[in-house]
Amino acid sequence: MSVLARVRRLPLTIRVPAMVVILMVAISAVISERVLDRLSKTQETYLQGLASAYLDGIVASITPSVLREDSWEVFDGIERMKPTADDILPVETVVTGKSGLVLASSNPVARETLRPLDADFAGKFDGTGVTIDPETRSGYVRRDIAYQNQLIGAVYAVFDVSSLLRERWQILVTLLTTNALFTALLGFVGFVTVSRMIRPMQVLETHMIDAAAGSATLIGEREFPAANSEAASVYRAYNALVRSETERQALARQLAEEEKLASLGRLASGMAHEINNPLGGLMNAVDTLRLHGERRNVRESSIELIQRGLYGIREVVEAALATYRPERLNRPLAEQDFADLKLLVRPELRRRKQRLDCSIDGTLEGERNWPAGPIRQAVLNLLLNAAAVTAEGGRVGMQIAVTAHGLDIAISDQGVGMPEPAKSILTDRKIREVPRDGSGLGLWIVRKIADDLGATISVSSETASNTIVRLSIPRRISEISNAA
Amino acid sequence: MSGAPPLNAACKNWSRRAAMRLAGIGAVCAWAGSRAYGQEVQKIRFGLTPVFLTNDLELLDALQAYLSEATGYQIELITRRTYQEITALLVSGQLDAAWICGYPYVHYRDKLELVAVPDWNGKPFYRSYLIVAADRDADSLEDLAGDIHAFSDPDSNSGFLVTRTLLYERGLDPDVFFRKTMFTYGHRNVIRAVASGLAQSGSVDGYVWEVMREIEPELVNRTKPLRKSEWLGFPPIATSKTLAHSHRIDALTNALVSMAQKPDGQRVLDMLRLTGFEVADPSVFDGIAAKFAMLRGVL
Repeated sequence: MSVLARVRRLPLTIRVPAMVVILMVAISAVISERVLDRLSKTQETYLQGLASAYLDGIVASITPSVLREDSWEVFDGIERMKPTADDILPVETVVTGKSGLVLASSNPVARETLRPLDADFAGKFDGTGVTIDPETRSGYVRRDIAYQNQLIGAVYAVFDVSSLLRERWQILVTLLTTNALFTALLGFVGFVTVSRMIRPMQVLETHMIDAAAGSATLIGEREFPAANSEAASVYRAYNALVRSETERQALARQLAEEEKLASLGRLASGMAHEINNPLGGLMNAVDTLRLHGERRNVRESSIELIQRGLYGIREVVEAALATYRPERLNRPLAEQDFADLKLLVRPELRRRKQRLDCSIDGTLEGERNWPAGPIRQAVLNLLLNAAAVTAEGGRVGMQIAVTAHGLDIAISDQGVGMPEPAKSILTDRKIREVPRDGSGLGLWIVRKIADDLGATISVSSETASNTIVRLSIPRRISEISNAA
Repeated sequence: MSGAPPLNAACKNWSRRAAMRLAGIGAVCAWAGSRAYGQEVQKIRFGLTPVFLTNDLELLDALQAYLSEATGYQIELITRRTYQEITALLVSGQLDAAWICGYPYVHYRDKLELVAVPDWNGKPFYRSYLIVAADRDADSLEDLAGDIHAFSDPDSNSGFLVTRTLLYERGLDPDVFFRKTMFTYGHRNVIRAVASGLAQSGSVDGYVWEVMREIEPELVNRTKPLRKSEWLGFPPIATSKTLAHSHRIDALTNALVSMAQKPDGQRVLDMLRLTGFEVADPSVFDGIAAKFAMLRGVL
């Protein structure tokens, strides 16, 4: 990972203060360089002025003595002219005569009188300006002595510039210290500010992560920032979104419930018919018993007839109860559930003079992977849908296969083919919302149950008039109890 | 005190005291004014050469105050840089009296009269020192060959004549023996020149060197006497023969000789580290006269 990428991965609370610090360091460096450069020039100007004043005085004082090559007078002049009040003092002054020999020096031991000037010493003087040597912490300046336009000698002065260099150092230290403090302060302020600025976003992020996990909660009033109207506005918008989503989910549940009731309504008439048919036989049997009950054969046949009729009614009632009271079906799927489904759709099939082709490949005996309730609901919806799209007198199929991978349930019809919107509801994983117009709600419920079970749905057509909806449920321990 | 000249026996009523100040000694009331002689009868013009003490002005004030009080005359102190200037003013009568060196006194003995001679440690004698740097390894005059040598004044006995005579006695030419000679016009300056290293050796008034060792030990202790001369006549206060025994000069002589008896005078003497003044016989300066005679025709 490149450095840039690493930097980009840093939290905003670190990156922004870091940028502030880097910016401040850059600004500090530029300012410090400019200040020190300016200070250096000012000091050199000051030193130049000081040196010039000193040399002017020396030259004016000793010129006659230099002319006479009077070493004592030159020495005395140097001694008398030596300032004592300034911070920058001449530490050594040497006067040479026309021949270049030393006439006098403030330090005659080092620069012996009437001897040639040391070449190394003379080499430190460059031009007429002050030359500063930081190593020796000295400033070197030279001035020619002229008399009647003739060169009669020169003055070499060495100044102790420690105070200037010390001042530079002190200013540098002051700059660095001040800038470091300001940089640290700004970095801290940046950290605190950014932390405060992004705290609302962190709150929002936490709630959105929870919402994505399926447990969206409102942002409480206590979490609203008092002085940040923008964040409060975002919070309010988020809460409005959560409320809207909650209402929509409630509506979807309500619609699903209504669809279930609608299915029940459709089934109810068939069930009533199923119950009504044996009721007629039962009433006749009761009448027969009342009239000819003394006859043994009549009595036994009538009772047999009544029992079969009551068994039929009980089956119908139990199937309905099992489907619409799912809490009773929090148990593994069994083959009996498919028998119940056949019974439940039989009235609708009979009404439409249709037949159900049902087969089971494999056995559900001992299988505990799949919950009965949601699967019964999904298959019932698919069967009712198949019956609805199949013409009267047509055939509806239900093939169940228990394999090593899972459970495959294929519901086939003889309709004109599934419309694309309906197909999308079943198979398009991008569509997860409740159909806005309520159409296809049964299929949406199938899809939702399939999602909960981790199942896949495929829609295929062997012919243009034969659609197969295949529900493939993987083998797993499901904890789904209220999927329907 | 070998070599000391005999003390003057003819001393009028004054006891002698020598006073001197400074390196240059020759003090003279140089009076360079253009006023006609005789117009300033109530004033004594007293000439001095530069003094060696750091509080020169205080000394001058004290001396002027004492002399005015003691003589009854207004005292005008006049200083010049060299003995030559003071001597010229004195000989020409533009000064009433002056503190000069024994050398110019001997030189102009026919024109000058002694007023008083200072006593140093009770005697009117002092010596000339040949000094070198304190850390220098030198034992004799010969070791000073090739030096830059500092003299005090070409009219100074101790600061020039003594060393010059010494070289002459040994057949040495100072311009050849020394690499260079210089005149600093002050005994303190000779000490400064040698102490600083500007000159490697110097000729200085022994009285000045000893007194300055008390006053400025940090300066003087950087030098040491390589040779001390015989005792010679202390730089005297002189007047021109034409003024000698005038009322003013008598009053001045009396004031000088009685200086030790008066508190103000004693204060001046304390500053000068002198014991007093006396009226000395001119023979006190015979030693200097001998040297002068030796070099006559040479200088």
